[in-house]
Amino acid sequence: MAFSRKCVPFTPFDMDLSKATIAIVTAAGVHQKDQEAFNIADELGDLTYRLMGEDVESSNLMVTHHHYEHEDADSDINVVFPIDRLRELQADGFIGGIARKHIGYMGYTMRLKDMYEQTAVQIANEIDKGSRADAVILTGG
Amino acid sequence: MRGTPTVLITVSPEVSNQMRPPRAIYPNGFKIGNSLGKPNMIDLQRQVLIDALTLLTQNTRPGSYKTIEYPQYGEFHEPPTVKKI
Repeated sequence: MAFSRKCVPFTPFDMDLSKATIAIVTAAGVHQKDQEAFNIADELGDLTYRLMGEDVESSNLMVTHHHYEHEDADSDINVVFPIDRLRELQADGFIGGIARKHIGYMGYTMRLKDMYEQTAVQIANEIDKGSRADAVILTGG
Repeated sequence: MRGTPTVLITVSPEVSNQMRPPRAIYPNGFKIGNSLGKPNMIDLQRQVLIDALTLLTQNTRPGSYKTIEYPQYGEFHEPPTVKKI
């Protein structure tokens, strides 16, 4: 699937938030501590992404990214990956649920074409298949 | 593929606009690495998240972003600009 370089790929949201399941996709280099870290040694960046499940725990997350200061995220991952806040909103009934998949990747890359045509498509397909997400919160670094 | 609605929380609106995100909020003056505010500012993080989610339900112009003020953040950082080549 190719993305248009001109139009904005807008998908309407046509349901109640209180019934919606939400996923988080972040370019802030978030991954689980037991997952392979992003490759910050490669000057061209890292095109891979990390999948996190419905039961992802904020205490089990970390950041590998060398193009922004992430001390704040190191002490509270919710500043870029608001999984605890999302769970609180679910408990309050503001949203319906937490998606089965969340995704972290390292937004820095010199291989923009590959990021755009490969990684972004893979991430979209991950969300599309099996996450049950009705909408996605995106964050950068 | 129908696609899934997204909403971006950006702290670099000029930079992120280059990728034409469908919807976005910009918490005015938040620094890079503080998309939802500072560590342990739970009420602020929650409000930013609520505002982002609420944008999904509003009529917005595709590709635009909404600047929102959060005085409780207590700082102002100039967002990065796109370098003209």
